Amino acid sequence: MYFVLAALRAGPLHGHAISKSVKELSGGRVQPSVGTLYGILERLNERGVIAVDREETVNGRNRRYFRITDEGQALVEAEARRMHEAAQLVLHPST
Amino acid sequence: MTTATPSPTTVLERRYRRLLLAYPRKYRAAHGDELLDVLLESAGPGRTVPAPREAWGLLTGGVRSRIAHQATGSAWADGLHLGVTAVAAANLAALLPYVGAMPLWTLLSALALLAVLRGRVLAALPLSLVTGLKAVAMADGRQVFDVTLLPVDPSFLSDRPLFAVSSPFAVASQYAVVLLGLLVLASRRREAPRVRSWWWYGAAVAVAWAGPAWMEDDRTFPLSLSRLAVEAAALGLAAAACYLARDPRWALASGIYLLVTSVELTLHAEELTRQHLAYWAVLAVLALGAACAPFRQRRHCLD
Repeated sequence: MYFVLAALRAGPLHGHAISKSVKELSGGRVQPSVGTLYGILERLNERGVIAVDREETVNGRNRRYFRITDEGQALVEAEARRMHEAAQLVLHPST
Repeated sequence: MTTATPSPTTVLERRYRRLLLAYPRKYRAAHGDELLDVLLESAGPGRTVPAPREAWGLLTGGVRSRIAHQATGSAWADGLHLGVTAVAAANLAALLPYVGAMPLWTLLSALALLAVLRGRVLAALPLSLVTGLKAVAMADGRQVFDVTLLPVDPSFLSDRPLFAVSSPFAVASQYAVVLLGLLVLASRRREAPRVRSWWWYGAAVAVAWAGPAWMEDDRTFPLSLSRLAVEAAALGLAAAACYLARDPRWALASGIYLLVTSVELTLHAEELTRQHLAYWAVLAVLALGAACAPFRQRRHCLD
């Protein structure tokens, strides 16, 4: 979920672009399957963390572009701060 | 004459479409093509077989999506209806092996389950009432509505006469739970109960089957292995659904079914073996797991 939100900070993306962005941002460590990715997108959408920005028809198939909401932005930043503080404990321990 | 070879994409698309059947029909209609588009874009050139990772993702995603679609509306009313459905299926399972000797009453029981499955509470009430009265009377060795020669021998699925080891109180409690549940649901006019799957008839047949022998002593109160398997699978699914959806409706249904089973076992308290207790413990642990699962702690703010 974290990498999905991080990917959407760059702007609205559709499913395949989110998948590629997640892989790039995580250095190849996170590669959700399409079923898993869409499960995450539906859950984040229901919670109002992301929203459907627009829909386009490509090759006769509908394609949704998702964008991060203000709430999502605040959530991912809070999670990033939490992880940063946790990392600081190990990388730069105060004496 | 030559036969046109389908392109790899067409074959792959067909196979992915089959896997997408794991998703609810409504979701497939709205977003199935979108998922298919991403799946085909992600697939390497010349691929005709879905990647195992993608296939597993679609199956688990589909199940998760089905659970999410079920977790809508009033949780307690839906849980009550699901519990009533399970007990109504068990009531049909008790009569099913005797369909040859009493086709009318088995048919009425099947119709009662049908009315429950379709959410027709007002139709299910009289059907469950008359079937229940007849079943309790037969368990008590009395005649109501029509004359039935006792004992009633099975036609298939079982080798014991009808209610040979069931007390009238146990039979009455099962029908009472169904009738009380239906009365509560009937009092709610705002929201009709959900239409449920035809698979419940399959579950009734599996529970009715005396199944492979596994009890050390099956002379007193036998429990079939098929019944144990179906009940454990159903309560396991309920616990998984509670966990994934953080919703207690399946826990309520499991609790209702466990209550009915517990009454049945309590009435045979003097005959219970370790296997009976193990059977009850499996159901109780799964029901307890379902009850606790909706309240699991969130691991992080995005969980």
